[in-house]
Amino acid sequence: MATEVALLELGVAEPARPGPVTEPSPGSAMRVRKRNGSLEPVDVNKIVRAVARCCDGLSAVDSLRVATRTISGLYDGATTRELDELSIQAAAALIAEEPQYSQLAARLLGTYIDKEVEGQAIHAFSQSIAAGHRTGLISDATLELVAGNARKLDDAVEPERSRSLEYFGLRTVYDRYLLRHPETRKPIETPQYFFMRVACGLAQRCAEAVDFYRLISSLAYLPSSPTLFNAGTRHSQLSSCYLLDSPADDLGSIYDRYKEVAQLSQFAGGIGLAYHRVRSRGSLIRGTNGQSNGIVPFLKTLDSSVAAVNQGGRRKGAACVYLEPWHADVEEFLELRDNTGDEARRTHNLNLANWIPDLFMRRVEAGEGWSLFDPKDVPQLPDLWGEDFERAYDAAEARGLARRQLPARDLYARMMRSLCQTGNGWMNFKDSANRRCNQTAQAGNVVHLSNLCTEIIEVSRDQETAVCNLGSLNLSAFVGPGGLDEAELRSTVGMAVTFLDRVVDINFYPTAGAERSNLRWRPVGLGLMGLQDAFFKLRLPFDSEPARQLSRRVQELIYFEALSASCRLAEELGRHPSFAETRAAQGVLQPDLWEGVELSPDLDWPGLRARIAEHGLRNSLLVAIAPTATIASIAGCYECIEPQVSNTFKRETLSGEFLQVNRYLVEELRRLDLWSDEARSELKRSEGSVQQLAGLPEDVRALFRTAWEIPQRSLIEMAAERAPFVDQSQSLNLFMANPSIGKASSMYLYAWKQGLKSTYYLRSRPATRIMPTTVGTAPAAASEGAAQVACSLENPETCEACQ
Amino acid sequence: MLLDPGMDLNLRPMRYPVFYDMFRNAIKNTWTVEEVDLSGDIVDLENRLSSAERHLINRLVAFFATGDTIVSNNLVLSLYQHVNAPEARLYLARQLYEEGVHIQFYLTLLDTYIPDHEERAAAFTAVENIPSIRQKADFCFRWTDSMSDVRRLGSRDDRRQFLMNLISFGGAVEGLFFYAAFAYVYFLRSKGLLNGLASGTNWVFRDESCHMRFAFEVVATVRREEPELFDRDMERRVLEMMEEALGAEYRFAEDLLSEGVAGMSLRDMRSYLEYVADQRLQNLGMEPRYGTKNPFPFMDLQDVPELSNFFERRVSAYQTAVAGEVSFDESF
Repeated sequence: MATEVALLELGVAEPARPGPVTEPSPGSAMRVRKRNGSLEPVDVNKIVRAVARCCDGLSAVDSLRVATRTISGLYDGATTRELDELSIQAAAALIAEEPQYSQLAARLLGTYIDKEVEGQAIHAFSQSIAAGHRTGLISDATLELVAGNARKLDDAVEPERSRSLEYFGLRTVYDRYLLRHPETRKPIETPQYFFMRVACGLAQRCAEAVDFYRLISSLAYLPSSPTLFNAGTRHSQLSSCYLLDSPADDLGSIYDRYKEVAQLSQFAGGIGLAYHRVRSRGSLIRGTNGQSNGIVPFLKTLDSSVAAVNQGGRRKGAACVYLEPWHADVEEFLELRDNTGDEARRTHNLNLANWIPDLFMRRVEAGEGWSLFDPKDVPQLPDLWGEDFERAYDAAEARGLARRQLPARDLYARMMRSLCQTGNGWMNFKDSANRRCNQTAQAGNVVHLSNLCTEIIEVSRDQETAVCNLGSLNLSAFVGPGGLDEAELRSTVGMAVTFLDRVVDINFYPTAGAERSNLRWRPVGLGLMGLQDAFFKLRLPFDSEPARQLSRRVQELIYFEALSASCRLAEELGRHPSFAETRAAQGVLQPDLWEGVELSPDLDWPGLRARIAEHGLRNSLLVAIAPTATIASIAGCYECIEPQVSNTFKRETLSGEFLQVNRYLVEELRRLDLWSDEARSELKRSEGSVQQLAGLPEDVRALFRTAWEIPQRSLIEMAAERAPFVDQSQSLNLFMANPSIGKASSMYLYAWKQGLKSTYYLRSRPATRIMPTTVGTAPAAASEGAAQVACSLENPETCEACQ
Repeated sequence: MLLDPGMDLNLRPMRYPVFYDMFRNAIKNTWTVEEVDLSGDIVDLENRLSSAERHLINRLVAFFATGDTIVSNNLVLSLYQHVNAPEARLYLARQLYEEGVHIQFYLTLLDTYIPDHEERAAAFTAVENIPSIRQKADFCFRWTDSMSDVRRLGSRDDRRQFLMNLISFGGAVEGLFFYAAFAYVYFLRSKGLLNGLASGTNWVFRDESCHMRFAFEVVATVRREEPELFDRDMERRVLEMMEEALGAEYRFAEDLLSEGVAGMSLRDMRSYLEYVADQRLQNLGMEPRYGTKNPFPFMDLQDVPELSNFFERRVSAYQTAVAGEVSFDESF
C-alpha cells in the first residue's frame, strides 16, 4: 500500500538535522545524480522500462511494482549506481511472494555486472583473461591457452546461460567468485567468463575447455569452491581439504603444525587436524622438570591462528580438531566450544570432532568403565585400529597406565551434551573408517582423522598430509518428468572424474607433505547435491521406499562410473603409484566391505573388476559427499543429500541475508489455488512447516515435510544404504529441534551400529523465537496457549500446569 | 492476584507456571559477548561504509550505549517491586542478567568501533548532548519517574499507573525503540555490512522479544484477573503514549537518515514505525491505529529460520542447558 502512495506523490523529506518533526513534503521532486555528476529528476517510466526489459518470459512478475519499490527507497541526490542496486534489491525482496522474482533480480544483477565489466573495456572472454593477466591474477599457462584459441573460446561463451542462475546463485558468484581488479575492486569477468576461466584453468586443449565449460555452465556439475576461486590463476590451489595427522609430542612439531595449517588455509582449503599424540595435562616434561598444561592452551593458539588467516577476503580459515576419546584431556576438549567459563580455555573458531573406536561404543552400550591415558604412556594407540587397538588398549589398562577411569556412559553423555549445546563435537568412527578404506590394506597405512566436513577418509602420517579435491553432481539436472536420465548421469560422472583427476597434477601445493601424499594416492571426491530437488520433482516423500531406492541406485551408478572412469584413466596415463597398497589391488571394492550388499545386475560389475585387475585405478578414492553449501546456492539446488530444512528460510552469507522459498511448494500451492498472503503468513508462523496449512492433501503434506519432521532414523538408514557406494564418506547432518541427551544418545548409537564412518553437525533450533515482526500478531491474552504448548509430552519436565 | 502488594515467596503450588517456563527457556538462550566476532566490522567501518551510513551507525551506537541501562533501571525500580509472584521475579532476575550482557555487548562494540578516546567518551554522553537521543531518554525517564512515588499498588489507579509503566517499557521502549534500532542493523546487513554487529544483534533481538513477550503476558494476566482496569481511559493513555514514542523515534530517524541512505528512506521508516506500533497495540488487544504495512523486506527475514554454514558467520541457533540421561531406546 505504501508503495502506491510513493508513486503518486514522489516526494521525499528534506534531509533534516535534528529539529522539529517534519512530515515528508510531497511537493519536492526527487533527483538522481548521474555518473557525470549532474542531477536529473527521477523518471518513473524510465525505471519501469529498464525493469521490463528483463521480464520476458516471466509471466508472474510486475515491473511496475519493482519500479515503485525502487523509488520508495530512494533519497534525493542518490546516484544512478544506487538506483541500480535498489532495483535489484526491490526485485529480490519479492521472491518470498513469487519465486519468479528471483530470476528477475538475477537478470537485473546480470545487467549490472555486464556494465561493470564493459566499463573496463572488456568485451570478450579473451579480453577478460588478458586483463586478468596484466593485473597479475591469471597464470601464464591459462593466458597462453586462451590467447592461442581466442576466437574459438570467445565464440563458445554463451551469455544467455546466465539466465539459468537464480538470484542467490548469481549474487554469490558476484560477491565472492568473480575475479576483481586489484585496485578498483570491480569484477573483470562476467559469470560466463568465470565459468570459461575455470574450464580453461583445468583443460589442456581448447576442445576440452569448451566441453568442460558447457558442463559447469549447465550447472549439472560444479567443482568445489577452491577450484572455482583459483583455477586459471597464479595460485592454482584447487583442493578443498587437507588432513593433518597429530603433531608429535614435542614443541617443535606443534609449532611446525601451526605454520602448515596457516599455509594450507591461506588459499581456501579447510583443515582437519588430529591432536591425539600430544601429552595431556599434568604429564611430566623431562627437559624442564615441569608439568604439561595439556592440549587446551595449544588449541587456543591454533584457534587464534586460524582466525587470523583470511582466505583472500572471501572466507575465513576454518579447521576441525580430532581427538580420540581415550586422551586424558578429552573432557576439557569437549568444553572448548562452551560459551561460558574461562576464555583462555575456549576456542570459538575451531570445530571439534571425536574419533571413536568401536571399543568405546561397546563399553557405552554395556555400561562399562573407560580409561583415559596420557599419550606419552600409550604412543602406539593412534596408529592402531580394530582388534590391534583393542589388544593394546586392554594391555595398557592391565598395566595400570590409566590416568583416570570413569563410566563410559558419563563420557558419552558429555559428548552428547556438547553436540546438543553447540552442534559441535562430531561423532566419527575410527574403526569403520579404517576397515572400509581402500588405502588401509597394508599395516602402517592408517586413517587418523576425517576432515573439516567429515566426508574425507584418507590415510595420513607425520610427513604426509592427505589432500582431497572435490566436485559435486547436481542430481536435479538429471531428473525430468520421465524420471532419472541415467545415461546422462553416467556420462557426466566420467567427465567429472577426468577433471578431478586433472586437479591432482596442476594443483599448487602449499606444503611438500601435501604434494607427496596427493601424487601417491591421487584421491578425489565426487559428491552429490540436489537429492531433495530430485525427490520433489518426482513427488517422492524423502523417506519413502521409492526415494530410498532411487538414492541407492544413484549412488551405485556414480560409484560404478567413477571406478570405470578411473580405470580408463589408469589405462591411458598409468595407475596411481601406491595402487599396490590398496584393497582394490586385491580385488576388494567398497561394496565388498559392507554386509549383504546386492549389486545391480544391469551394471557390469564383473567386467569392471576384470578391467581394474588388469589396468588398476588412477585414483585410490573417488566418492565423497561434501556439504556443498556454497556451490548448491550457485546451482540453485538443495544442499548435498539433505532434506530441506524449511519451506522458507533465509541464507546468511558474507554478502547479507537472502530469503529462499521452496519453489516446488509454491507451484503445488498455486495448482491447489492456495498460494495466498494467508498461506505465506502461516508458513512463516510455523517456521517453514506446511503441517498446519489448511486445505492441504495428506500426500502433499508428506512430500513437503522438513528435516525436523522426517524421522532421523530414516536419514541414518539412507546414509547406510548409500555407504557401500561411497568409498570415502558423507557429510551427514542430523536434525533435532529440541535435543536431549537421551534422544541424541539413542540416535548416535544407531548411527554407529549402522556402520557409518562419520556424522556431521547435530542441528537444533533456538529455544525461543524472536517475536515476529511481520506476521500479524495475536494479542497476548491468547497466549494462554503458550503455556499449553509447553505442556507437551516432548518436554514433560518443563510443564508445571498438571502438578 | 499478580499485582497484589507484597513480596510473595511461595513457589508451590505455582500460580503462574508460564513465567517459570519463560525463565527456563531464557536460560537455554544464554550467549556471551566473547562469541561475537567484530573483526570484520572494523574493515567495513574503515573501507566500505559511505559517510551517510557512518553517520547512521555513529548515532545508532550512541543510542545503544545507554538504552539497556535505562531498561535495567526501570526493571529494578518498578517491575521487580510490583510483579508479585516469585516465579515472575525469577524471570525478571534473568532479564536483568540479559540486560547486563547487552550492556556489555554495546560497551564492547563502542570500544571497538570508536578507537579515539574522546570520541568514545562523547558517544557515552550522547544521552545528554544529542537532542534526538535525549528526547527518547526523556521519554523513558518520565515513565520510570512516574512510579517513584508509588510504593504500594494499593488502589486501582496505582495499578493502572504501574501497567502504563510496564507497557511503556515493554511496548514502546523494547517494542518500538529497539525494534527500530534493529531495523537499521538489519538494513546494513542486507547490504552485507557490519555482520558482527548483526550477529550480536540476533541474540539481543531474541532476548528483547522475550522480554516483550513477558511484559505482554503480565498485562494479559492482570487483565484476566482485573478486567475492569482496562477501561477506555486506559486505552486512550496507551495510544497517546505510543504516539509520543513514535514521534520521538521518528525524530531519531530524521537524524540518522539526515545524509540520505539509499534503500532506507525516511518515508519507509515512518511506515515501519507505524507498522510496529500497530503490532504492539494488537499485542495489547487493541485495534491497530495506522493500518500501515511493513515496507522493509529485510525485516521479513527476521522471522525466518536461519541456515548458516560454518565458513561464514557463527550459527546462533544452538541451545544451552540440555537435559536428560544416556538412553538407547528413545525415538528419533
